[in-house]
Amino acid sequence: MKKKVLFLIAILVVAGVFWGALSRVHPFGEKARAPMDDYYLENAQQERSVNNVVTAIVFDYRGFDTLGEAAVLFTAVCSVLALFRKGSEGK
Amino acid sequence: MNGFAHIAVLAMIIIAGFYAVWFRDLLSSVISLAVFSLLLSLEFFILQAPDVAIAEAAIGAGLSTAIYIIALRACNALKKSGGGDRK
Amino acid sequence: MNPLSVVVRTICDVFAWFMGIYGIYIIIHGHLTPGGGFQGGAVVATMAAFLLVSHGGKKLLSFAKPGFYSGIETAGLLIFITTGFLGLSATFFYNFLAGRGGLFGAVVPIGPNSGILNSAGTISVMNMAVGLEVIGGLSLILIYMFKGIRLFDDQTGGSETGHDR
Repeated sequence: MKKKVLFLIAILVVAGVFWGALSRVHPFGEKARAPMDDYYLENAQQERSVNNVVTAIVFDYRGFDTLGEAAVLFTAVCSVLALFRKGSEGK
Repeated sequence: MNGFAHIAVLAMIIIAGFYAVWFRDLLSSVISLAVFSLLLSLEFFILQAPDVAIAEAAIGAGLSTAIYIIALRACNALKKSGGGDRK
Repeated sequence: MNPLSVVVRTICDVFAWFMGIYGIYIIIHGHLTPGGGFQGGAVVATMAAFLLVSHGGKKLLSFAKPGFYSGIETAGLLIFITTGFLGLSATFFYNFLAGRGGLFGAVVPIGPNSGILNSAGTISVMNMAVGLEVIGGLSLILIYMFKGIRLFDDQTGGSETGHDR
């Protein structure tokens, strides 16, 4: 019984925190107020000669992050190869 | 129109997630999880993020399902050969 | 892992090629349409997963060696890092090919246009490099996981099984 009451209190606290966070979220589809993405949308096509601004951000303005993502994938492959290598006792 | 599509896709996502937990048969559960991923990619597409939609459809509905099916067949082979003892 | 029935094999034979072509399209049109190296590489790696599940491992491993995929992954990562370092005259990852003419440097008109394929400088090169790396990496994960479960497999396999139940 005590566990159930604690569980209900925890549920209510988590729901309240989520409601408080989600009610302050920027509305979907509205124009953003940060100056950086306005700069990207206006100047990416002229500076980097790309039509797709998302690719311009991922591979050019934030290319270092993509290098980190490639390193993460390489590390994942290395760990899988180390996990499933041929053991000494199996064949 | 857009609100109706949102509500329909989200309801189908909840139904697919419920069936992924509810099925006793593991292969049906895996297929239901693939349907869940496909509907989630449709929801990403409705929310105007086609990059994430392509990645979710390829990885969630393709690669994870293939890896789950490989694991399932490995478990069946294990069960057939009797116990978890390595030969 | 034994091959599945004739129906599944035929359908997977037909659709795997569409998947491969679609993934390569996503990779090389990464600077024009949604998608890019990671998404296209994941779609191409799904082709390997389809062939592995439908045809069984013995047939797939007879023509897709792990060394081939490992070489693809290493080549993609090396091309990516080398392209990053080549722009070091200005900054790291500087787009030194954009707008210069040549194979990757066509000038794009400002505003809405119909898209020029050979335009985007090093972004196009990096798309192809990351695509190669993701194809190699995900296929290698899949093949090694499959080879790992073969430790438990019985030696009598090889005939066709209908379904998994």
